[in-house]
Amino acid sequence: MLEFLVWLLCGSILVSGILAVRLDSTLTAAVSGALASLFAAVCYVLLGSPDVGMTEASIGSGLSVLIFLYAIRRTTEKVP
Amino acid sequence: MAEGILVVAAVLIFFGIVFGVLRLTLGHTVVDRVVAVDMLTVVSISLIALYAHVAGRSIYLDVALVYGVLSFLAVLAISRYLERGL
Repeated sequence: MLEFLVWLLCGSILVSGILAVRLDSTLTAAVSGALASLFAAVCYVLLGSPDVGMTEASIGSGLSVLIFLYAIRRTTEKVP
Repeated sequence: MAEGILVVAAVLIFFGIVFGVLRLTLGHTVVDRVVAVDMLTVVSISLIALYAHVAGRSIYLDVALVYGVLSFLAVLAISRYLERGL
């Protein structure tokens, strides 16, 4: 019954990845990457491995965005 | 009856994901995209809970629980970043 949702999640991962590559702003690219990781976690759960999905959700979607934002903040030039 | 309710829930989740991704694609500002990601997180949690009922395995509910506890972290970090606080 839920196979069409798995197909939709796979398409959403593709759309998020393309957006993360093509968008101009680095912040929106980080947000799109977080969304791709989120959908990948849900896909792992639907395909039958909940522990991998839990790890992906906590690290890929939560912690990596934090590290990305910290890196963006530390590397952008402050305008004097 | 119960099967019909599950089908209706799956269709609603389908349209939630479709319109969330559409808003993420067309979004003009960063705030639109952040709110779309937050909404898609909630829809994903409901999808995992629905699948836990369909598959009959309650271990998936733990995944939904951990996901709900940890999912606000990214949105909180982005909001803090937008207010120049991070």
